[in-house]
Amino acid sequence: MSVNSETAVVLPAHLHARPAGQVVQAAARFQADVEIEYAGKVANARGVLAVMALGATAGTTVTLRATGPDAAEALDAVVAVLSAAQ
Amino acid sequence: MTGSVGIVLVSHSAELAAGLRELLLQVGGQSLAVEAAGGTDEGGIGTSYDLVRAAIEKADGGAGVLVIPDLGSSVLTARVVLDDRPAPDVVIVDAPFVEGAMAAAVIAGTGADLAAAVAAAEEARDVRKL
Repeated sequence: MSVNSETAVVLPAHLHARPAGQVVQAAARFQADVEIEYAGKVANARGVLAVMALGATAGTTVTLRATGPDAAEALDAVVAVLSAAQ
Repeated sequence: MTGSVGIVLVSHSAELAAGLRELLLQVGGQSLAVEAAGGTDEGGIGTSYDLVRAAIEKADGGAGVLVIPDLGSSVLTARVVLDDRPAPDVVIVDAPFVEGAMAAAVIAGTGADLAAAVAAAEEARDVRKL
């Protein structure tokens, strides 16, 4: 069964190299595909370079979309990483 | 060993390879099997067959090794080492040095296999940074 899930996160910090790495690690634990959208650009959450290249800055909002059997859990995991970014 | 795919950074400069290694561990996690093989045996600018070979052996935890050269003689030296000791799970990858290593290291840190790490490094050629 495929489930779609979507949510938005206000970034407490820039989405730079270290949090991007943590996003990939979080997303990789799930089967679901997770996408991050920012300013019209979309990055697969498993691609650290693409996530960094979003250029998302502190205080802005990114939209997360997950598709797959564990979409909700995957989204929760990525939201947790982004919300805790420093 | 960690059991994750190993990564060997081959550069003309010991500092360049070591600095990139430090960055990869920061982003991908301290448990990554990343080895730097930069500079000559004497620490000068150039590449060393022995340093590359030793780095491959050290990075090999059983899940395969990705060798990423910066350019020029790094590519040639890495090729000679691999030609002398061909192994199906030790591969040289054609990718930008920093971006390719970063993409491969982060994926390797998630427990991905060698093919996935190779694909991530090669994809780095096409990811725009702006």
